[in-house]
Amino acid sequence: MARYSILRRTIATPLILSALLLAFALIAWFVGSRPFNQTVIDIFLQVVFVVGLYTFIGNSGVISFGHIAFACLGGYVAAWTTIKPMMKGTAMPGLPDWLMQMEIPFWAAALAGGTFAAFWALVFGAVLMRLSGIAASIATFAMLAMVNAIYSNWSSVTAATSSVVGIPIVRSIWPYMIAAILAVFVAWAFSISRHGLALRAARDEPTAAAASGINIPRVRLIAFVISGAIMGAGGALYAHSIGLVTPDTFYLGLTFTTLSMLVVGGMGSLSGAVLGVLILSSLIQVLRWLEAGVQVGASTFALPGGVQEIALGVVMILILMFRPSGIMGNSELTGLRARTEKPVEPGTD
Amino acid sequence: MKKLTAILAATTCLSSAALADDDRIIVGFATAETGFMQAYDKPAQDAAMIRIAEINEAGGLLGKPIEVVKADTKTDRAEGAKAGLSVIDQGADMVVVSCDYDFGAPAALAAESNGLISFFLCAESIKAGIQGVGPNSFSASVLAAVQGATMAEWAYNKKEARTFYRLLDTWTEYNKGICDGFDWMLPQLPEAKLVGEDTFLNEDASIAAQITRIKSLPEEPDAIMLCTMMPGAVSAIKQLRAAGINSMILNGSGVDGSYWLSAVPDLSNFYVPVQGSIYGDDPNPAVNEFNAKYTEVTGAPPATQYTYPGYVMIDVWAKAVERAGTTETSAVVAELEKMVDEPTLFGPRTFTSELHHQNRARYLIVETNNGKPGVVDEWTISSPIPVADLMK
Repeated sequence: MARYSILRRTIATPLILSALLLAFALIAWFVGSRPFNQTVIDIFLQVVFVVGLYTFIGNSGVISFGHIAFACLGGYVAAWTTIKPMMKGTAMPGLPDWLMQMEIPFWAAALAGGTFAAFWALVFGAVLMRLSGIAASIATFAMLAMVNAIYSNWSSVTAATSSVVGIPIVRSIWPYMIAAILAVFVAWAFSISRHGLALRAARDEPTAAAASGINIPRVRLIAFVISGAIMGAGGALYAHSIGLVTPDTFYLGLTFTTLSMLVVGGMGSLSGAVLGVLILSSLIQVLRWLEAGVQVGASTFALPGGVQEIALGVVMILILMFRPSGIMGNSELTGLRARTEKPVEPGTD
Repeated sequence: MKKLTAILAATTCLSSAALADDDRIIVGFATAETGFMQAYDKPAQDAAMIRIAEINEAGGLLGKPIEVVKADTKTDRAEGAKAGLSVIDQGADMVVVSCDYDFGAPAALAAESNGLISFFLCAESIKAGIQGVGPNSFSASVLAAVQGATMAEWAYNKKEARTFYRLLDTWTEYNKGICDGFDWMLPQLPEAKLVGEDTFLNEDASIAAQITRIKSLPEEPDAIMLCTMMPGAVSAIKQLRAAGINSMILNGSGVDGSYWLSAVPDLSNFYVPVQGSIYGDDPNPAVNEFNAKYTEVTGAPPATQYTYPGYVMIDVWAKAVERAGTTETSAVVAELEKMVDEPTLFGPRTFTSELHHQNRARYLIVETNNGKPGVVDEWTISSPIPVADLMK
């Protein structure tokens, strides 16, 4: 009974978020401009990444700087499995034969990318999840640096720092929207699952949680693997959105963009993760348009180039000044009013 | 927020519809206006704008004025794809993309999938064209391998260099490309001998180990083929000379320019291949006139030879459009592929259905003597580098 009640109490969150994502997709569809379409695809990919980050960071409280490494793993899986065999031969001659001949559709590549990333998350996580606090964060950062170094130098398999091209480009918005919605549902399902609740208990009260029999490294590992899978699938789709991958696409730039979106949205909240992306991305887009110039009557109003980055920084500082725990804090969107986690009194269930 | 987004999106849509017009020809620049690529894209783009202005003054292309639309790639690949789509939606008949293959490719791929011609402003990798984008993609510059091959053959024939040392900075594809061309040329020079080779990384603070190996050779090599680029090149050159190695140093075009020479005072015996001279001594007076015009338009003379490909790009494309009588992609591509040694301000250009890039080109040789660079010779490699060797 308890399980169904938590489901009923929380199902509104993923539904509302999905509706929001659908609204963005519909706007893009109605507008019909291709660059705008591509922008919305980018937003959906960022939703996937940030929701992937949230699944681990939000539930465990451990800040990970390394998740973009899983996106890198997934992105290269897309390159290995979807480029035409002939092109693969010249760019990445060191691939094993069975992989060289493989040519699968993009959605299968996304699944394969997610699986591959999940496998490596399991391997890395088995070691890393025993660490806590800043040590764990630095260790995840080391993992990112390691993956980046391997992918930047293993020329026969990853073409080293050269761009790997020939990945079929998918410019339809719907697959990305579906991926973002799936990521939201997976993250939601995990956070209300037994392991998700155990992990959040461990986040807030590690000593009490351990005393209640929660194996903290194990529940963290589960979250790490699930979030790794989401990041991997996101990385594969990212590769399909622009048609090429390089190791430095999946490095510090993307790491800090996605982390700051999560922090601004609210680290402990799935709604925060999604809203962080939607709000900041929309803001970036508006500033870009203003940079490019907007016609106001007879004159054109344009901001000087580079203002976008500065204004984004200022807005992020302002948001964090007034809402130190992000836009959503620890609350979720549930229908009429935001529900916070804390006030649930013992015994009301 | 969403409402605002929708309104803004709608206005963009309207303006793009308004621009689609048959009375003009539109060139779309999906290049970097911000970020580090801007330093490479801006000069070449300015040169392209000068050619466009010249064509418009002379009555336009097919009797129509050329108009320019732009989108900023922000030196970001994902933004590059958007910038490409954005200029296409604004009605571009041809899409100009960033100088570097990695940063230009997303926009070029967008053009390719929309059946439009794309031109890399100055990419020197074979991938910038058919091999890495598709059959409608071109590069306005010359392959990096040609630079290495040119320097080797020229030094062998004109400077009687017989012993060569190869020093490669493995940082970029461009550097490797220069040395690939050198490697291809060397076995064809009967008496030339490679007496040693080494690698380093652009960011290495010291190349003392590599220098020790050169110094321990029984005799100083006649020439050192230095395959590197800025910013690491300056430090490598300075260290070579400081160690008392006086061999001639052969380079790719990436070290062209006098802006860094003060860091290595009185540099001599130093050779760079360039498509045109920025030092005011180009054998072709039209190049010096171009330099003057460029100075007038932008307020400063060209800093490196990478300004010039932008001019060449518009020049060859406009000629192809004129001959085809249309901007329709397949017709223009066919005309471009017919070009054999097509004269341009900066040397002849050839495109074939196999290669949309130059695997042979005339290079001016700039010698730096006592810290003063100047053109001393010109050289065209005896045979083009085969595509199969370039694809390695």
